[in-house]
Amino acid sequence: MIRLGLVICAALLIAACAHSSLVLLPDENGGQGAVAVLESNGKPGQAVLAQPNSRTKLGQQEPVTRPLGSKGLTGKETALLSGLPPPARSFSLYFEPGSTQLTPDSRRNLDALRAEIARRPGAEVDVTGHTDTVGSEEDNDSLSLKRAKEVLGILASEGINSSLMTAVGRGERELREPTADNVDSAFNRRVEVIVR
Amino acid sequence: MLRKSVFLVVLGTLIMSPASAQIARIKHSTGNAAIERGSSRLPAAVGRQLFAGDRLVTGKDGRISLTFIDNTRFSVGPNSRVAVSQFEYDRTRQRGEFVTEVNRGSLAVVSGKIAKSGKDAMKVRTPNSLLGVRGTRFIVEVPQ
Repeated sequence: MIRLGLVICAALLIAACAHSSLVLLPDENGGQGAVAVLESNGKPGQAVLAQPNSRTKLGQQEPVTRPLGSKGLTGKETALLSGLPPPARSFSLYFEPGSTQLTPDSRRNLDALRAEIARRPGAEVDVTGHTDTVGSEEDNDSLSLKRAKEVLGILASEGINSSLMTAVGRGERELREPTADNVDSAFNRRVEVIVR
Repeated sequence: MLRKSVFLVVLGTLIMSPASAQIARIKHSTGNAAIERGSSRLPAAVGRQLFAGDRLVTGKDGRISLTFIDNTRFSVGPNSRVAVSQFEYDRTRQRGEFVTEVNRGSLAVVSGKIAKSGKDAMKVRTPNSLLGVRGTRFIVEVPQ
């Protein structure tokens, strides 16, 4: 029994010696995030690591956090970060009232959208249609989906593989400009396109 | 006890992901880089789709970059073994659950909408710790 206990201890020590570590960085917009240590060597924990530009050795009773300091990141860490894919980018395209006709400005914005898709290897495109509050909810569900499919169709007709794209309609549920029912709004008649 | 919890985890996974849906897509890879799915091993080619349960495996010169459908981004370093053991995302409500296991090697993460959707909705497990991600950019390293 004691021997078993020793074996378990030794196993825990080896695990602790593996020195898993966490480097916490500010987000890309300079904001500050945090990571909670919910469990350490099987024991529940409560520590919250919130110091940006810091390094914490994991698997200890009380995690010890040190600033990255003047040494900064290692070369391997810098290479790892530079391997991150670019952030998703979103585009808004606007429509004429009650129709699937893009506004002239939005027609021109299609060029930027197309270029963004082209510059991303393995790109994916999520197209979500929306309406203003003019008309019934059912009609707007249908119109929002038609708008999304219209944009998807335009992109597909320009050679973008439709298996990379999805289209959904959200009707009048997600107004960009909050309005009462039956209010005409150029801001709400839109399709949001997310390129990843 | 262990067997029971393994059984519960497997059962839970089956219940929560009735249909296999795409969860991420490879954006870049170099060197020896593969996706392990069940007992098969697939090259981590650009554009390849990932499913919950997939494992990202790299050799000493390998790297994989990928973006998930909730906009979470991963960069997997050399000599790594990273499993996406749980991933559920409701695109309409922008909520979900996401558990990644870093068994060895290194992983850089920029968290996305799942991490924002609830406290510790995104978790990362290492051999000795369980982390709750509260945003956004960090690196986990697990030496061999």
